[in-house]
Amino acid sequence: MIIDAHVRVGRSREAALSVPDLLATMDRLSVDVACAAPDEAAIAYDNRRGNELTTGAAAASGGRVVAYAVANPWRGREAITELEWARDAGARALAVDSVLQGFDLLDGLVDPLLGFAADQRWPVYVRTGTPPNALPLTLALLAHRFPEVTFIMGRSGATDFWIDAAEALRSAPNLLGDTSYAPWDTLLSELGSDPAITPSRLVFATDQPYTVAASEVRRIRDWPIADHERDLVLGGTLRALVGL
Amino acid sequence: MIDFHTHTPAWRTSSWLGGATFDAADFLAFMDGAGIERAVVLSHDGLFNPSPRANDELAAFVAADPDRLVGFGTVSPRHEDAPREAARMMDELGLRGMKLHPWLQGFSLQERTLDPICEVLVERGGTLLCHDGTPPYSTPAQIAALARRHPGLPVVLGHGGLHDCWREALEACRQTPNLYLCICGTPPYAARHIVQHGPADRILFGTDAGLSDQAEQHYAVARVAEIDGWGISADQRRAMLVDNPRRLLEGAAR
Repeated sequence: MIIDAHVRVGRSREAALSVPDLLATMDRLSVDVACAAPDEAAIAYDNRRGNELTTGAAAASGGRVVAYAVANPWRGREAITELEWARDAGARALAVDSVLQGFDLLDGLVDPLLGFAADQRWPVYVRTGTPPNALPLTLALLAHRFPEVTFIMGRSGATDFWIDAAEALRSAPNLLGDTSYAPWDTLLSELGSDPAITPSRLVFATDQPYTVAASEVRRIRDWPIADHERDLVLGGTLRALVGL
Repeated sequence: MIDFHTHTPAWRTSSWLGGATFDAADFLAFMDGAGIERAVVLSHDGLFNPSPRANDELAAFVAADPDRLVGFGTVSPRHEDAPREAARMMDELGLRGMKLHPWLQGFSLQERTLDPICEVLVERGGTLLCHDGTPPYSTPAQIAALARRHPGLPVVLGHGGLHDCWREALEACRQTPNLYLCICGTPPYAARHIVQHGPADRILFGTDAGLSDQAEQHYAVARVAEIDGWGISADQRRAMLVDNPRRLLEGAAR
């Protein structure tokens, strides 16, 4: 089973992905399941629209879409209520973007949401790569505070914080990297050959609509690793985390 | 097509990436396979240790095929000999421009020690390519400020703002006539937007080849192939890959 760990559906600032287009691309690239967060505005402020979009897509997809829930941490108790709504509608993971949502990963605002995710046994996707408040090692510090939560380090610090992503993965065993944007013959080979990381801690993600999805798949196909390792990257590691 | 951002191997320095040893013949074979006619080649060792020797070794690498390999050297801007080395690498080594990497090389673009170096480049028709896309010392607006101090110097944003500063790169180019934008490591959605909305005659493309742990530079080949998925027109593609870089190189020092 091939699982795409992260896409965003809806219309963002300069890119868009409709659910039918997502499903068509999945068919073309033989991707079985995609974990979908909503568009940028829905992550930043219009959380209910976003949760309706992703959970609605998941409900109509026959199991091919897994919904991320979103809630801006600045909403306080309302954010938890929003996550409860998303859970009841079928969401199975939490997506966080500290840049779009305007907070510091370590300021405590997101902690109640992570506590909720821990209670639900949800993995938490956190986009990284943007200084100063969305960085791999900052996320590792957060991951240390929530050892019961599995965090997906979205974009693995692309691009100039890739080196920090390696150290973040070494330091936080509950952290997974994602493969989007990462060449196999530079970054993935370095991460994969590190005995403290290995391919088992890297999950395939296309990060549509920001990428060329076929290139993201091709990169993982071309990466010269053992078949069982590739199976882990392409979905084996993530499968149980999202209840598949 | 012309690849405006590639590197030699790192012969004398190391980074956290494994890298690969390759010679000019290997590199030309990679270019042939990727459909790259000419490449701007930047020193790899010079990113970490911008020394005259790094320029000498870059010059020797590109001398293997000067019609296809165009060398841009580097200097340590705070070093008292930097303007002299800039002149030497252009006049004696035949290099055609300069690459600076402010956060690896440790300086701010607003330090006036850069001005005499830029004047050397202007006098010789050289081009300055600068790493960009990463705070604190490599943002497009910072580089644009340097470009505005030297309006006769073509200045290239080496990475088109990468993931986080590409909108700033686009706007800086719109406002700065001698600023060029090289899409290199820029995410595809941003590349598409830049090509469709940026100054059509000042957009370039680079693969960043040379950093792979395989001599074949697989990721660079993939980056060329990925352009097919960007959703840009044939005319836009030709301007970015052929016309714009050719015009810029033809205006550069010979």
